[in-house]
Amino acid sequence: MFATLKEVVGENWHWRRQVWNLAKIDLVKTYRGAALGKVWLFAKPAVYILVFWVALKFGLRSSSDINGKPFLLWLAAGVFPWFFMSDMITTGSDVYRRYPYLVNRIKFPLSLISTFYTLSLLIIFACMMAFTIVVSLATGVHLGRYMLQLPLVMVFMFLFWLAWSMALSPLSAISRDFSNLLKTLGTPFFWLSGILFDISGWPRTARLVASFNPVTWVVQSVRDCFIYNKWFFMDLDSFLPFLCVLLIFIVLALHNYYRLYREVPDVL
Amino acid sequence: MSSKLPSNVTRMGDATVIRDEDASTPVAVRFDHVTKQYKLFKNDKLRLLSTFSKRIPHDTVNASDDLSFEVRRGSALALLGDNGAGKSTALKMITGVCFPTSGTVEVHGRVSALLELSAGFDMKLSGMENIDMRCQLWGLSKDESERLIPEIVEFSELGKYIDQPMRTYSSGMRARLGFAFASSIRPDILVVDEALSVGDRKFAAKCKSRVRSIIAKENVTVLFVTHSTGMAKEFCEHGIVIQKGKAMFSGDIEDAITYYTSS
Repeated sequence: MFATLKEVVGENWHWRRQVWNLAKIDLVKTYRGAALGKVWLFAKPAVYILVFWVALKFGLRSSSDINGKPFLLWLAAGVFPWFFMSDMITTGSDVYRRYPYLVNRIKFPLSLISTFYTLSLLIIFACMMAFTIVVSLATGVHLGRYMLQLPLVMVFMFLFWLAWSMALSPLSAISRDFSNLLKTLGTPFFWLSGILFDISGWPRTARLVASFNPVTWVVQSVRDCFIYNKWFFMDLDSFLPFLCVLLIFIVLALHNYYRLYREVPDVL
Repeated sequence: MSSKLPSNVTRMGDATVIRDEDASTPVAVRFDHVTKQYKLFKNDKLRLLSTFSKRIPHDTVNASDDLSFEVRRGSALALLGDNGAGKSTALKMITGVCFPTSGTVEVHGRVSALLELSAGFDMKLSGMENIDMRCQLWGLSKDESERLIPEIVEFSELGKYIDQPMRTYSSGMRARLGFAFASSIRPDILVVDEALSVGDRKFAAKCKSRVRSIIAKENVTVLFVTHSTGMAKEFCEHGIVIQKGKAMFSGDIEDAITYYTSS
């Protein structure tokens, strides 16, 4: 187990320059073929946010300010991380199929594929966060010192979803059933994770279960920065369960990676 | 991998893979009783279950079966064999994209493979970006790739098309770019797999002369994989005949061809 960890970290460190460049190439690939290119990076989230906002404001009539911050900001702080996570849940868990030629055409350490894909999504997420901050400041919303923890939240997001991708991609490569299962889970995760509503009103047991949901944790923590003005690590009731899940996924990632990385080129 | 990496031995179960960038050893490639076993399942469901339990029924097939051979540095060797004899599996183990089930594979030096030239490109990216990406994947330094890229572009004769997305290329254009890259990165070991018939006659001739100039260089080891005996005779001094995953004959190219055609 520790040998695998050492190997994976070593590979990633040794190839760090390539990981960075490949993440950029992945970005290019995502927005290639579109005349507007980078505009789509912002257009898609903007449209989503607008639609949610309209639906919630006029449809469900729940759009009052939260903790003195505009509802729209609250929405953005939940939906932007969700874009990152929904890509990780679907494509991130099946990343070898996105780059089959890296698996069975050239010799390339498989662990790096997960790393640079997660990194490329995280770059997009960081851009959206920067965009949100700029818009907030421009519209006169006060952002406090709790914003300082945002990079730390992103580090945890990176770690967790990297482990997620490494744990599940080998299984998805081996069986389509598995990747279909994960794609099916995308929408349920969205509705059960408190992205469009506040889960603090839930019954105690439901909240306990939700605290083990990493999607909920990420959304909550990003909102801690923007809205609730809390340090995420002080809220042990949700931070400790998240750490547990993180640890489980890291162990799972190393276990599956070690067991299956030789088989993946044979089956893809 | 970059040249800084020290000698790298990986042990996996019964198999050992020794792979480094040391291009000064007298032996470039050595296979020692190498077996590669593929597991065949009835369907994907059983394959998924097999990752959790060892007792799922499956067939096995040995693509390489107790295969042993040795390629000396600087030599040109032909691997002869019919379709399904296990040539490609052996090549995949040399290039490092798949792992043996048992035995020892030793590879010393940077391997570049001219196999399935058009495969392994990203269709969404342009030719230029693909070359760029491959330079990254090969771990070439910035200077090295800056020096090589014009050379690759020129050799591929793609002209203005180099900035167009790969999906708009014809198969011949893809193959040309693939050949240009694989033969330009100055490998220590070059693997050629039926690739020299790409493109039109003029380009095929250009490819042949490129391979010949690579062979002429000292210390470059060339492995030819083919069932065309003419090509083998043209380029190689030694030949190995592979049948059903085993090396049946090893020796002079003339004798190997005689053995291959008579069997």
